[in-house]
Amino acid sequence: MRFRCRTAVGLAALLALGACQRGAPPATAKPRVALVLKTLNSPFFIDMQKGATAAAEKQGLDLVVQAAEREVDVDKQMQIIENLVQTGVKALLVTPSGSREVVPAIAKANAAGIPVVILDTKVDPAAAAEAGIKTVTFVGSDNLEGGRLAGQQMVQVTGGRAKVAVLEGIPGHETGDSRLKGFKEAIAKSPGIAIVASQPANWERDLGFNVFQNMLQAHPEIDAVFACNDMMALGAVEAIAVAGKLGRIKVIGFDAVDDARKAIASGAMVASVAQFPGEMGRVAVESAARILKNETVPDDQRVRIELVTAATLAPPAAGAARP
Amino acid sequence: MSLASLKRQGRELGTLGGLLALGLLLTALTPHFLTVSNLLNVMEQTSINAVIAVGMTFVILSGGIDLSVGSLVALSGVVMASALHAGAPIPVALLAGLLTGAFCGLVNGSLVTLGRLPPFIATLGMMSVARGAALLFTDGRPVSGFDASFRSLATGRVLLVPVPVLITLAVYAVAHLVLTRTRFGRYVYAIGGNEEASRLSGVPVRFHKTMVYALSGLVSGLAAAVLTARLNSAQPIAGMMYELDAIAATVIGGTSLLGGQGRVSGTLIGALIMGVLRNGLNLLGISSFLQQVVIGLVIVGAVLFDSLLKTGERR
Amino acid sequence: MRGIRKSFPGVVALDGVSLEVRAGEVHVLLGENGAGKSTLMKILSGALAKDDGEILLGGEPVSIPGPREAHERGIRIIYQELNLVPHLSVAENIALGREPGRLGWVDRRAQDHEARQRLGRLGVEIDPRAPVGELGVARQQMVEVAKALEGEPRIIVMDEPTSALTTTEIHELFATIERLTARGVAVVYISHRMEEVTRIGHRVTVLRDGRHVTTRAISEVTVAELVKLMAGREVTEHFPRRRTPPGEEVLRAEGLSRAGVLHDVSFTLRRGEVLGVAGLMGAGRTELARVLAGADRPDAGRVLVQGRPLAARGPKDAIERGLALLPEDRKTQGLVLGLSVRANVALPSLPRLAKLGVVDEAGESELAQRQTDDLRIRTTGLAQLVGQLSGGNQQKVVLGKWLAADVDVLLMDEPTRGIDVAAKVEIYELMNRLTAQGKAILMISSELPEVLGMSDRILVLARGRVAAELQARGATQEQVLAAALGQAS
Repeated sequence: MRFRCRTAVGLAALLALGACQRGAPPATAKPRVALVLKTLNSPFFIDMQKGATAAAEKQGLDLVVQAAEREVDVDKQMQIIENLVQTGVKALLVTPSGSREVVPAIAKANAAGIPVVILDTKVDPAAAAEAGIKTVTFVGSDNLEGGRLAGQQMVQVTGGRAKVAVLEGIPGHETGDSRLKGFKEAIAKSPGIAIVASQPANWERDLGFNVFQNMLQAHPEIDAVFACNDMMALGAVEAIAVAGKLGRIKVIGFDAVDDARKAIASGAMVASVAQFPGEMGRVAVESAARILKNETVPDDQRVRIELVTAATLAPPAAGAARP
Repeated sequence: MSLASLKRQGRELGTLGGLLALGLLLTALTPHFLTVSNLLNVMEQTSINAVIAVGMTFVILSGGIDLSVGSLVALSGVVMASALHAGAPIPVALLAGLLTGAFCGLVNGSLVTLGRLPPFIATLGMMSVARGAALLFTDGRPVSGFDASFRSLATGRVLLVPVPVLITLAVYAVAHLVLTRTRFGRYVYAIGGNEEASRLSGVPVRFHKTMVYALSGLVSGLAAAVLTARLNSAQPIAGMMYELDAIAATVIGGTSLLGGQGRVSGTLIGALIMGVLRNGLNLLGISSFLQQVVIGLVIVGAVLFDSLLKTGERR
Repeated sequence: MRGIRKSFPGVVALDGVSLEVRAGEVHVLLGENGAGKSTLMKILSGALAKDDGEILLGGEPVSIPGPREAHERGIRIIYQELNLVPHLSVAENIALGREPGRLGWVDRRAQDHEARQRLGRLGVEIDPRAPVGELGVARQQMVEVAKALEGEPRIIVMDEPTSALTTTEIHELFATIERLTARGVAVVYISHRMEEVTRIGHRVTVLRDGRHVTTRAISEVTVAELVKLMAGREVTEHFPRRRTPPGEEVLRAEGLSRAGVLHDVSFTLRRGEVLGVAGLMGAGRTELARVLAGADRPDAGRVLVQGRPLAARGPKDAIERGLALLPEDRKTQGLVLGLSVRANVALPSLPRLAKLGVVDEAGESELAQRQTDDLRIRTTGLAQLVGQLSGGNQQKVVLGKWLAADVDVLLMDEPTRGIDVAAKVEIYELMNRLTAQGKAILMISSELPEVLGMSDRILVLARGRVAAELQARGATQEQVLAAALGQAS
C-alpha cells in the first residue's frame, strides 16, 4: 500500500501549495480582457486579432486571444468562455460560433458580472430574450447591406440576365443568412436573374470546390455565382478553371480576402464585398475600454463595408482599402 | 496483493499521478485553477467526453472500436430536440434520444457480429450515415430553445454540484460495477482477451459484442442530452471528432487498444486529464495552436509511458 | 556461456548457469517448463539482456546487446512458432531484411539463386518462387533453417523443431541437422521428446529451476536417468493408467461428416472410459473434437448425449449437455491469458454463479480455489494472470474450468503437448481420477506411447474415416501406425 500513501502525501502537498497560491496577486497590473474568436485558421479572424491587439496596446489593456480548433465546435467555444470567466477577465469580446448556442455561455459571463461585447455574428435575439442575457454592444458589418451590394453588382455585371448558383455558409448562421437575404432582395427587382441552385458549403474552400463542381454537372447553364464568403468563392473559381469556363462564369464573393483580391485583379472573380475585421477588433476593444471606464457605448456599431471590383482595385496599391 | 495486480494498480496510479502533477503545476502557475468553482467547471466540461468514453472503453475492451459516437451524439440530440419541439414530455423525448443512440449502436454491433465487418468499417459507415441522417432530419439547421426543466439537465445544481457531473459519476459507478461484478463485464474482458477461447467456453460472444456497441450508442445518446441542454440547442453538426477525444481518454486511461485490458476508472482519469489540460491552457491564455500540440503530446506520452512500463517488465 | 544470471520481478529465472557448446555437435538442452532453457537461449540470441555472467565465442568474451549483434556473430535461433511471411515467396522470405540488389531495387535472380543454393546445401528441393503459405509445416521449417544459413552461422538454436512434424518430416529435418554439423556448425537442440534426444544428440545439458544440473555425453546416460535429472526425483511410471470397469454410454457419434475433413465417423464412449484417438496429421482428429464440442457444425450425422440427440448450434449447447473441449492450442483457444486464474476457471460457470447478472464473487473464489487445490495448480494466488503460468499449470486451469462446470465428457486434444514430463504424469493421474469418478474422456494424441498407455480403447482415423477400433490392452504401436497409414491390419 505504499503507492496509496505517496498519493495521499502528493495530494496534501498540492492542497497546501494551492492555499499559498490563492493569496498571490495577479501577474499583470493592466486590466485583462479576452477575445474569443470562432477560429484562428482564417485570414479574416487573424486580421480581427491584429486590429484588436493593436487597439489593446493603445488602450493599456492586457488582451488574451483564444479560439476553438474548429469553427463549428460550439461546445469548445463555450468551454473556453467558461474557463475565461474563471480567470475573472474584466470584459469578454466574443465572435459567436453559433448564434443561439452561445447564449448559455454569455449567461455565465453575465452571472459573473463580466460585460460582453459581441463581434461579427449577432446573437439570436429570441434566444437572448428568452434567457434574459445582456450584451453591451454588437460590433459588426452590416451583412444585409453587404448582400445588397453584392446583388446590385450581380445585376450590373450580368446585365440583368443570369442563371445564378449560390454557395451558402453553415446553415443557421446569422451572417450567411443576412448576406443571402440582402442578395435576394437586390436581385428581386431583375426578373431575368434566377437562382437555379443553392447549397451550403460550410464556409470552406474545398467544399466550395466540390459543391460547385456538382452544381455545374446538374446545371451546365449556370453563368454566375454568389458565395457567402470568399473561401467558397475561391473554391468555385478553381472548379470553374477545371471546367475550362474561367471568365465566362461571373463570381462574386464576400470578405475581400487577399486571394480574392488577386482573383478579382486577374479577372477570375468580378467582385467581393470588403469587410474590415481589423476595424471590428479595434472598435470592440475600444468599446471594452470605455465600458471599464464606466462610459456608455451604443448598442449596435456597424463597421463600414465596401464593394471591391477590378475598378476599385486598379488605381491605388492593392492593400490601400484595408485598415 | 499479487505482483500482477500491484502492477496494474501502478499503471492506474501513474495516470492519477499524472493528473495530480498537472493539477499541481497549474496551481503553481495560475491562481484561478484551484478554486471550487473552476474545479466544478472542469468536471462539467469533461462530462460529455467522459460519458461517451465509457461506451468507448467497453467497445475497446471487447477488442473493437466505435468511430460513430460523435455522429450519434448529433443524431440523438436532434431527435430528442425535435421531439421536445413537437411537444413530447421530457421523459419521452429523452427516451427517444437514448433509443436512437442505442438502436444505431445495435446496428453497429450486428454489422460486426452478424455481418462480420471489421468494427472500424462498420462504425465508419455509421459515422457517415448518422451524420447525414441528422442533417437530413433537420435540413441542416440547429433545433434550439427548450424550457428550463429540460435545460436543468445541464444547468441544474444539487448541493452546488452541477447535474452533468452527477450524471457522469453515476454512469461511471454503474459502468465500474458492471465491468467488475457482472457476468456481462466479465464476458467483455474475456471476449477482448481471447474471443475464440471465450466462444469455446460457451460465452455467447455475438450477443455480448452486439450489446457492447448498443451500450456505446446508448451513452452517446445520454451525452447528447447533456450537450443539448447545455447549449440550449441541438446541432446536426455537433459532436464532430468526439470519437477521437473519447478514444484518447480511453487510451490515456490505460485501456489497451488490443482489448481485454483496462478499467473505466482509468478512462475517467484520462478524460479529466484532457479536460484539465484544456482548462489550464485557457486559464494561462496559451495560444490555441500550441494547445493542440500539447494535447497531442500528452496522448502519445501516456501510451509511450505504458509501453515502456511493459518493456520494463519483459527485460 | 558462463555463470549467466537473470531474474524477473519475483522470480530468479537463471541462477549462474553455464553452457559449453562445441563446433559440429548437436547439444541437447533439456529441462522441464520453467527450467530456464528459453531464457538462456533468448540471452544467447540477444532477445533478453543478462543480469550477470559472460558469453564467450571461440574463447573470446563478447557482448550481445541485441538480436542484430547476435546475428553478426553467427548466432541463429529458430523459434517454435515459425516467423515467416506467408504471402511472400520462399526466396523472399530467405532474403528478408538482406535483399540483394542496389538502390532499393531487389535483384530477383540473385535472390532466387541464393535461395536455391542454400536449400540445396540442406538437401531439400523447394521452388524458391512458391509462396511460403502454400508449403507444409516441415517445408516451412526448412525455409527457416535456410534463412538461418545467412552468412557464416556458428551456432543454430532450434526450439522444439519437431512439435508439428510427422515422422518422415522429422527424418528429413534430422538429415539436415547432420549436414549442418558436418560443416562445423553447432546446433543447440531443445526438445521434450526423449527418443529424438537420444537419436540426434551428442551431448546433453540438463537445467532445473534455473540451475545447471549436468552435462553428459548422450551415450553415457539412459532416458530414465535424464527424466529423473530433469524432474529432480524418480518418475517411476510413464503411463500410470488405472482402468476402471466402464459404465453406461454417455456419448455416441453416428455417421458424422464434414466436407473435406470427416467421413461417416461413428463411435461410442462410456462412463469411466478413455477413448484414445490416433492418426496422422490431417487425419481429422482435431476436426472430430471440434464437431463434438459444437465449435464446428457437421454436414451429416448426429451426436447423442446420454441417448438424446445434441442440437449443436454452438459450444454453449454442447457445454450445457456436459461436453467440454480442451483444445490443442491452449493459448489461443483454451484460455484468456490476460485474465486471472479465478476468472478463467469460472468463465463457463458464470451463468450459474451470477444472480441477476451480478457475479457472486465469494462463490467464484470458492469454486476456483477448490479446483486449484484439487488439481494442485501452482499459482501465487487466484488473482494471478493465467498468461504467467507454466504450460502444465495452464493445462490444469483449462481442465479445472471444465471440472468446475461439472461436465461429463472431456474432449482432450493433445492434453500433454508442450508439457514437461512431471506435469504430464500429473495430468495422467488426473485422468485416472476423473474416470474413476465416472467421467468419460476422449483423448487425441500424436504420441503413440501415450495413446497406448492411457487409453482403454483406441479409435484410429485416416483421411477423415475410422480406420480401426482397437482394444488398447495388447495393441502395439505398429498396429496403430499401420491403421493410421491406411493399411489393413
